[in-house]
Amino acid sequence: MKKFYFITLMIMLGGEILRTQTNAADAPKPARAPTIINSDRADFDIAARKAFYYGNVRVDDPQMKLTCAQMVADLPQTGGHINRIVAETNVVIDSVDEKGQTNHATSDKAVYIYNVQNGVTNETVTLTGHAKVENEQGWLTGEPIVWDRANNSLHAENQKMLFRQNISDVMTNTNSAAGKTNKPAASKIF
Amino acid sequence: MKIKLNSAIAVLSALMALGIFAVATRAQQNTAGHASDFSSVEYFEPPHQQLMKSRLSGAEAQPLAGGLLAIKQLKLEMFDTNGVLEMVVKAPDCVYDTLHGVASSPGHLRLETGDGKSHVEGDGFLWRQTNSFLTISNNVHTVIENTAEKKTGL
Repeated sequence: MKKFYFITLMIMLGGEILRTQTNAADAPKPARAPTIINSDRADFDIAARKAFYYGNVRVDDPQMKLTCAQMVADLPQTGGHINRIVAETNVVIDSVDEKGQTNHATSDKAVYIYNVQNGVTNETVTLTGHAKVENEQGWLTGEPIVWDRANNSLHAENQKMLFRQNISDVMTNTNSAAGKTNKPAASKIF
Repeated sequence: MKIKLNSAIAVLSALMALGIFAVATRAQQNTAGHASDFSSVEYFEPPHQQLMKSRLSGAEAQPLAGGLLAIKQLKLEMFDTNGVLEMVVKAPDCVYDTLHGVASSPGHLRLETGDGKSHVEGDGFLWRQTNSFLTISNNVHTVIENTAEKKTGL
């Protein structure tokens, strides 16, 4: 099974699609804004600890914004962490990294998983069905695309990619006159 | 006096008929036939029978035809077996079907976790007591307080 680590290529090409902020263990933890979920309708199965959101679902999280047609979340115990969310139909995820770069993901379905096993945190978002991730550096499609949030890596199977490169940047260290032109940036397809 | 007593019994019976509320702890009843400032408590099964499972309270409870009960300023608190408050549900108005264990209202509802860090609210709801299933029909708004600090970009 072929896996391709998108992040590695992006860094090699000078575009860092993912960035991580690792806090020291004793560093103060800044307060985060709350996660807000809006929808037209919702069902809550208290006994099964599940929340079902339907119609114009919008998730506004400090790390990302998500919209979809329906979403199911496993509710944690009081004070616990949500360990599974499934978003379906016209899933759109927008996030902004620490450089202020916007990353845009779309898919038919997105599954968020969080768990801690033997002291190791696993946190992933798996995009399936017309999955695509896009930013200023290019775009990636795959089936599936897996965003490993715990390790800040992104990989895809059956992937296709496009990397955009500014020709003037490529020519910066040459003596070519092209580096001094005002031509618009060009895209390069890999 | 007999009418007043019968009315009080009717209201308390209806509350007790909620199924989960085994003990009516407090209620005041007036000549209009409804209870005010009432609360009712359900306890866990053994071995936790000394602990509250839930407490229902309200400003008013008015018996209606067909086994219905109109409740104003509903507040339902649910606890775990450690005595920790798990959830609080508040609704300005609702009608409780004592025969089927269903509460509903076109009005507002707010559900809050016991630690107060998260809440859900919306307009129009249906609560099925038998399987603890809540439907909020319109304008659902959920707020979840975050404690994690990690920042990542997609």
